[in-house]
Amino acid sequence: MRLELQAKSFGPRQVLGSLELSVSRGERVAILGPSGIGKSTLLRIFAGLDRAYQGRREGGERLAMVFQEPVLLPWRNAVANITIPTGCDIATAREWMARAGLAGHEAKFPRQMSLGQQRRLALARAFAAAPDILLADEPYASLDAETAARMIALTDELLGRSGAGLVLVTHDPAEGTALGARALHLSGNPARLQNS
Amino acid sequence: MSDAGKPRSGALPGLLSVLAMLALWTVASQLTDRPQTLPAPWHVAERIGHLAATGELWFNAGMTLWRVAASFVLAMAIGLALGLAMGRSRGFDDWLNPGIIILLNIPALVLIVLSYIWIGLNETAAILAVALNKIPVVTVMIREGARALRPDLDEMAHAFAMPPATRLRHVVLPQLAPQIAASARAGISLIWKIVLVVEFLGRSNGVGFKIHLLFSSFDVEGVLAWALTFVLVMLTIDLFILRPWERHANRWRQDAA
Repeated sequence: MRLELQAKSFGPRQVLGSLELSVSRGERVAILGPSGIGKSTLLRIFAGLDRAYQGRREGGERLAMVFQEPVLLPWRNAVANITIPTGCDIATAREWMARAGLAGHEAKFPRQMSLGQQRRLALARAFAAAPDILLADEPYASLDAETAARMIALTDELLGRSGAGLVLVTHDPAEGTALGARALHLSGNPARLQNS
Repeated sequence: MSDAGKPRSGALPGLLSVLAMLALWTVASQLTDRPQTLPAPWHVAERIGHLAATGELWFNAGMTLWRVAASFVLAMAIGLALGLAMGRSRGFDDWLNPGIIILLNIPALVLIVLSYIWIGLNETAAILAVALNKIPVVTVMIREGARALRPDLDEMAHAFAMPPATRLRHVVLPQLAPQIAASARAGISLIWKIVLVVEFLGRSNGVGFKIHLLFSSFDVEGVLAWALTFVLVMLTIDLFILRPWERHANRWRQDAA
């Protein structure tokens, strides 16, 4: 998966400058930078969710996204929250839930689960989509340190098991290090990517 | 609407209030010197029993109910589609809004008369006339809901490349459930009142047609018998179909026990 970006603007303000981002299966990349610099915008362009930019995006890899918030369907139970968006069968969904430590919660609705459980469900959903590359936008923000550490270990384990690549957007370099990801810094105005 | 999901213990006051109305009716009927003007409740009940025994009640109430159902389904389907399109697309809204406002303000009677003249005195015209009265109301309610659809869920659906039908069924429609339920319940009562007018003016069966006949002989007892029967039918539908459905659709709002 490869993105050659020339520019991305919101109205008259150019947020992202010329940059290149390419990730393949099994490769892990962390995009670091202060908040508001355009990390999420870059990830959204990479994911194909934002098409209003100048540049080129190519590659047919399967992508799956973990958002800043869990973004679950509140009116469907946990298993359906995996099967409906990803189209996988119930057995696969249960399997990924078990791997994410959510066995026994299959019939619960999202609001009957804690935030930590909802985030793990969002992670299980992303893996159930069998992605080549997992895209994650601050997936550990607003979690307490202990839960975040467990989530990072879980992500590492599931990535290893599935062989998927990773693009992690975070403000915390330690998260990238813990996942063994190559760190790229987004900085400047308009922002560009730099190797660290 | 908001408390529809919780069981309520308002049954007793409700029952007492109905009994009080019955008592008032009884007293008023005994005070009038002409029983034709306001017959006593038991006379009306007797008449209902008689109508039920002859089978006339079931046939005509059935005809009315089928017209209610047909125009309800038609109006909800078209109103939902229009409201969704107008809520999501600015262009659609700009183009269709004047038409909706005009339709909203045309008197029901005018739509009924024009339908009968243009299409003919048949079932199609009757059902279409009722649906046309209801469509703009549904459209406006659904449009409000469609404007407030959650963008994050939209994005999630997009990120996982959910097919359009799945997206509609599992992402969009559940968000519109409050508007759908409200317009369904407000709609069903509006629809059956208009169906009666349609039958009064141009059908040869149904509750509205029977009331037309009874009106020409000033038979208040008969009018009340037919009207009360159908009110009972509609209350039953609300109580045993619409409310349970609404409760079922709102299950996910409940917290863990």
